[in-house]
Amino acid sequence: MFIFSKKIFIVSIAILVAAGFYWVGTREAPVDFSADVKPIFNKKCISCHGGVKKQGNFSVLFRTEALAKTKSGKWAIVPGDPEHSELIRRIRSRDPEDRMPYHHDPLSDQEISVLTKWIRQGARWGDHWAFTFLKPVEVPRLPGSFFGLIPGKGADWARNPVDNFIYQKIAQQHLTPSPEADKPTLLRRVSLDLTGLPPSASLASKFLTGNQPQAYEELVDSLLASPHYGEKWAAGWLDIARYADTKGYERDAGRSIWRYRDWLIKAFNADKPYDKFITEQIAGDLLPGATDDQFIATAFHRNTMTNDEGGTDNEEFRTAAVMDRVNTTWQGILGTTFACVQCHSHPYDPFTHDEYYKFMAFFNDSRDEDTWADYPLLRQYNSEDSSKLASLVSWLRQQGYQAEAKNIYQFLKTWQPAFNSLRTNSFVNCELNDTKWLAMRNPSTARLQGVLLDGKTQLIYRYSTFAPGGTWTIHLDKPDGPVLKSIRLDTAQHRSWIIGGEDLPTTTGVHDLYISYANPALKDPNQNGLQFDWFYFTEPFPGKGKAGYDSAYLDYWNLLVKEVPSTPVMMDNPSDMHRATYVFERGNWLVKGKQVSAATPHTLNPLPAGAPANRLGLAMWLTSEANPLTARTMVNRLWEQLFGTGLVETLEDLGTQGAEPTHRELLDYLSYRFMHEDGWSVKKLLKEMVMSATYRQDSKLSKESGGQDPFNKYYSRSSRVRLSAEQIRDQALAVSGLLSEKVGGPSVMPWQPEGIWMSPWNGEYWISSKGEDQYRRALYTFWKRTAPYPSMISFDGVGREVCTARRIRTNTPLQALVTLNDSVYLDAARHFAWRMQQEKGDVQAQISRGYEIAMQKKISSSKLLALTALYKTALNKFSHDKQKTFEMAGLDKQHNQPPLAALVVVANAILNLDEFITKS
Amino acid sequence: MMQNELHNQRLLREAEQANARLHTRRHFLRECAFGFGSLALGSLLQSCSIGSANAGTSAIPFDPAHPLAPKLPQFPAKAKSIIYLHMAGAPSQLELFDYKPDLMKLDGQDCPPSLLEGKRFAFIRGVPKMLGPQARFAQHGGSGAWVSNYLPHFSSIVDEVSFLKAVTTDQFNHAPAQLLVHTGSPRLGRPSIGSWVTYGLGTENQNLPGFVVLTSGGKFPDAGKSVWGSGFLPSVYQGVQCRSEGDPVLFIKDPKGMDRDLRKASIDAINQVNEEEYQEYQDPEILSRISQYEMAYKMQIAAPEVMNINNEPAYIHEMYGTQPGKACIANNILLARKLVEKGVRFVQIFDWGWDTHGTAANLSIDVGLNNKCRTVDKAMTALILDLKQRGLLEETLVVWGGEFGRTPMLENRDGKQNPFKGRDHHVEAFTIWMAGGGIRKGVSYGETDEIGYAAVSGKVTPNDIQATLLNQLGFDHEKFTYQFQGRPFRLTDVSGKVIDEIVA
Repeated sequence: MFIFSKKIFIVSIAILVAAGFYWVGTREAPVDFSADVKPIFNKKCISCHGGVKKQGNFSVLFRTEALAKTKSGKWAIVPGDPEHSELIRRIRSRDPEDRMPYHHDPLSDQEISVLTKWIRQGARWGDHWAFTFLKPVEVPRLPGSFFGLIPGKGADWARNPVDNFIYQKIAQQHLTPSPEADKPTLLRRVSLDLTGLPPSASLASKFLTGNQPQAYEELVDSLLASPHYGEKWAAGWLDIARYADTKGYERDAGRSIWRYRDWLIKAFNADKPYDKFITEQIAGDLLPGATDDQFIATAFHRNTMTNDEGGTDNEEFRTAAVMDRVNTTWQGILGTTFACVQCHSHPYDPFTHDEYYKFMAFFNDSRDEDTWADYPLLRQYNSEDSSKLASLVSWLRQQGYQAEAKNIYQFLKTWQPAFNSLRTNSFVNCELNDTKWLAMRNPSTARLQGVLLDGKTQLIYRYSTFAPGGTWTIHLDKPDGPVLKSIRLDTAQHRSWIIGGEDLPTTTGVHDLYISYANPALKDPNQNGLQFDWFYFTEPFPGKGKAGYDSAYLDYWNLLVKEVPSTPVMMDNPSDMHRATYVFERGNWLVKGKQVSAATPHTLNPLPAGAPANRLGLAMWLTSEANPLTARTMVNRLWEQLFGTGLVETLEDLGTQGAEPTHRELLDYLSYRFMHEDGWSVKKLLKEMVMSATYRQDSKLSKESGGQDPFNKYYSRSSRVRLSAEQIRDQALAVSGLLSEKVGGPSVMPWQPEGIWMSPWNGEYWISSKGEDQYRRALYTFWKRTAPYPSMISFDGVGREVCTARRIRTNTPLQALVTLNDSVYLDAARHFAWRMQQEKGDVQAQISRGYEIAMQKKISSSKLLALTALYKTALNKFSHDKQKTFEMAGLDKQHNQPPLAALVVVANAILNLDEFITKS
Repeated sequence: MMQNELHNQRLLREAEQANARLHTRRHFLRECAFGFGSLALGSLLQSCSIGSANAGTSAIPFDPAHPLAPKLPQFPAKAKSIIYLHMAGAPSQLELFDYKPDLMKLDGQDCPPSLLEGKRFAFIRGVPKMLGPQARFAQHGGSGAWVSNYLPHFSSIVDEVSFLKAVTTDQFNHAPAQLLVHTGSPRLGRPSIGSWVTYGLGTENQNLPGFVVLTSGGKFPDAGKSVWGSGFLPSVYQGVQCRSEGDPVLFIKDPKGMDRDLRKASIDAINQVNEEEYQEYQDPEILSRISQYEMAYKMQIAAPEVMNINNEPAYIHEMYGTQPGKACIANNILLARKLVEKGVRFVQIFDWGWDTHGTAANLSIDVGLNNKCRTVDKAMTALILDLKQRGLLEETLVVWGGEFGRTPMLENRDGKQNPFKGRDHHVEAFTIWMAGGGIRKGVSYGETDEIGYAAVSGKVTPNDIQATLLNQLGFDHEKFTYQFQGRPFRLTDVSGKVIDEIVA
């Protein structure tokens, strides 16, 4: 039976080979534009012939351009006819003045042959792989499963489809996969990868002692279900969201936006499907019946910077923030560079200049205006006030005021849509105080343009006064136009902001309002008397005369003026405050070109049917199954977090200028599956990856794999990856027993050296947090943009000024100094030493146990020897020096003994081991 | 000609030395690889070019395991290091270098509308008054450079200096203007000059950071640490802030109770365990970690040593006008000399408090500015003379300036008179000077109009200055790029031209 089969097999192979020869002999293999031709164009031609530059009026960016007649009157590319294509003649030319690439190295024979064949075959254009629609990908069959007849290594090794793709390339490279890592290594690796922390003692012992085949899967499931899972993945997303606890620029004052960070943790823990995760961050406020949480999700795009420096143009920095939203959306969610298109059409990828501004229009109609307060804010009432608000809304509904209920709810929750006073102009004897708030003198006038007054007989405004009394007046359309209202201020002086309300007479239409102020009490004409924050024109509170009106109105006003915690969120302008979007000529915001409306680039998927032309429509477009980039970008990012390098190394750019994917089919397979089969579940995707045989390999370099594949592009072993800045801190706190397990809450200030915070005109200080808040996970550390936490930056943390899709790991002596000498790590070493000393046995047993706590595995005899020798040296020193013993042990008199001090030195060494700060 | 040849020969020698150092370094690494096969070494040396998808001819080799290894510039350099003195807040050119007698005649008169129409100022509103120079000017040296009595010491060395009198910018707020000067762009997120330089050249002295930042004046510059940040370059290239109070470099001091011997023993133990680890895993990154810990140990000795100015002789202290024990600019300038002497590439000094609006006496043009000048005049003069006497001036480029200029008008704030004499931010003209590092001596380039309002000839921008600095260090600013977000980025963004007129 076996012999017979073998014969058939050999015959089949012979036929296949013969057929292959025949096919090759009669037809040349088709050239793939994206794989073969485009890389040559991008590398050798496009810097002069594409996008901004079109030397000789020839460009290889789009097919229509490439096939057009060039400046010389010749055709560079004649499809089907390489001999008459000027391009071919010029790359073959031997005259250095004639040959292309001009004054650069000539193309190789192989490259010339590719281009020649491609033109002969019709010069067909193709799209860059990452911009093409995701199609189902067939999982490669492995050699062992060839007709199911011959058993092979690959099929035995593979545990899931990931491995089929990986094995195929490993085999092509004549490499072999590494054996599975030992249990302790695997335990530490998967735990750090999924939760960012070493495993808990109970999880560790369950896995290490259990022998059931499903032990590993159970471990993975427990880690995915841990509340710390969300912390780990939120920490990574904070770089994308350029999350910080300050506003940036000169003053870089604090901003309360940590509820967004907590939203991320919750979203990851709940495994919120990635399409919803994106939708809520981009457009949570526009979802029907948006919840507080959905509003807070939109703080994603309120992590842009606000410039509080006096004298700045608020419109300039509002615009900068809007453009940052565009760039972040592209870099972080779509993994493509779009920022180039700000100034000119893209030199490499198929996006035009106008398309940037059409895309910007999605974000440009938002309410934020670089105000000092970071409006709009979501106001968060405590539970008592929340229920008051709920009953207020239900009272309004019961009375039949559906629309009013909605507006009032929104206004109480956000103080929107109000006119910020920084929108006023035409100042006479007044100014924007510090370019932030309209401040009036005696007498003065300013103008508020374009206010729709239909039905709006209530004015609510926020103001403060520098002097008692005074009157302010609203004139319609002219400084001396008809008086809409004259308001006498009370004689109290309100140095802090208060909210006032006034009835207005009925008016219709859109008006320019001239605001004048007079206060004879102000003797000095240069003295400010009254300052405005915002103005809100609205309909009167409804239901006068109905039962319950009085108490409803009282609740309304109390809720309105209540000072409550808040979070910056996204909101769009109502139609009467709509902001138009223009193309900026050459990217200069002061030179406005034609007006555009919101649209997505024409070369990608169209907006889904029925999608509105706002951020919600944009979110539908981003998460449409037709979008080629969203799923690929996220899958690539998750892969990078586990394996150290993305399937496309440049996480920030899957476009033509990004790195070539090492395993394009695998990326497409996982991305397709992510969207179509796993319902955008990040946990399912991660599980698929960590369950693979590829992931579970050992990370030792064999001669073969190290020599042939030094960067582990083919994954014939697991990569050793230095931990992230966050993981390094968290792990040190965890093994020393100091780590607080508290999840969420305002950012904290762990110990930091003096003199790190010195922003001008700021007056905020780093005040060390108390108690367990000193030992929270790194992602809770207060992040000041212009002065980030030093040890995090040493380990390649990023400034969070703009979106960063990928951190580049470096290795420097300054990193060593952090873990050797930073008080945080000394503190950890002391507690770690104390923990070791509580162990039974002699000092060798204690050190062994310490190492085991750190590494999850038993210490080798030679490592133990090295650490014990260090202990003895230290003990010897401390035995003769009480002062040093006291300083090193750092506890109380009773415990500050030489053995403990010597153990602190050993603990400090363990916290610095390469294997400890690396994931093996 | 002769001198030029000598110079070129020296550069050639330097290039050879640098190569030899690289070679020795490899040798050292091989040594410290404890005789392990050439396999690991091979991959160690191969690891380069992260983040550059289309490594063209201009790409700078980047080895994440040894990101600060010394590298050669694109062409022979005239300068080896740069000391950049930034007076944060922007000093008034009209009281220091740009002498305008005609402005005095207009003192107290209303500013003509032609100077205000279509212009924007940070604070001035309405019609301000003109303000004549508040300092007395005289010509100095063989070059006849005009310098005011606010800088009596500096006046004596004007023949060493090139003045750029028509520098312009397009940013009239501190933070964006400082970012433009130091990162080539007014927005956050770009690498600073020093980061580019250490990325391109690595560092000469592995026991010290390659890019050091020193601050004084009680505050950081307005744009914060972003002006010495590494932007999209790996964070290893950001400036390392050295401090005159507390640890000179963060975390450089061993914890209390740990003496040098014990630290040595602990690093030896760490590295022994790491060697074991290397035996097992053969990962070259472990070798790199071993050498980083050795370097850290050496840096712990070298950095405090160089940061300690107390061991300088008394006449040097006198020359610089130092105030030992204080965080002042004179101390920092002396430190800068010590650092470049030890092979540090780029020393960035920021001194806060030059924003003379006239809102308070210490922020006035007549009192405050004069006082600020007194804190720096002696030291910056000493720096040039000291570098010269040590034979270091030729290879050290010194730059002095602010982020923009100040208005010829007296500042009124929000339409009100300020209590003291002050000038508002001004983008159309200011002065920066440079000396050493292959810059011409005794030159004044660029002119402003008769009241110092706007540049009329020899106009240069921060990008031009950056192009010039890179040129002196041996880089063509248009070819010195880093691949990021799909395109090559450079310090000078899309503009910048070397100011040939001041290059020797």
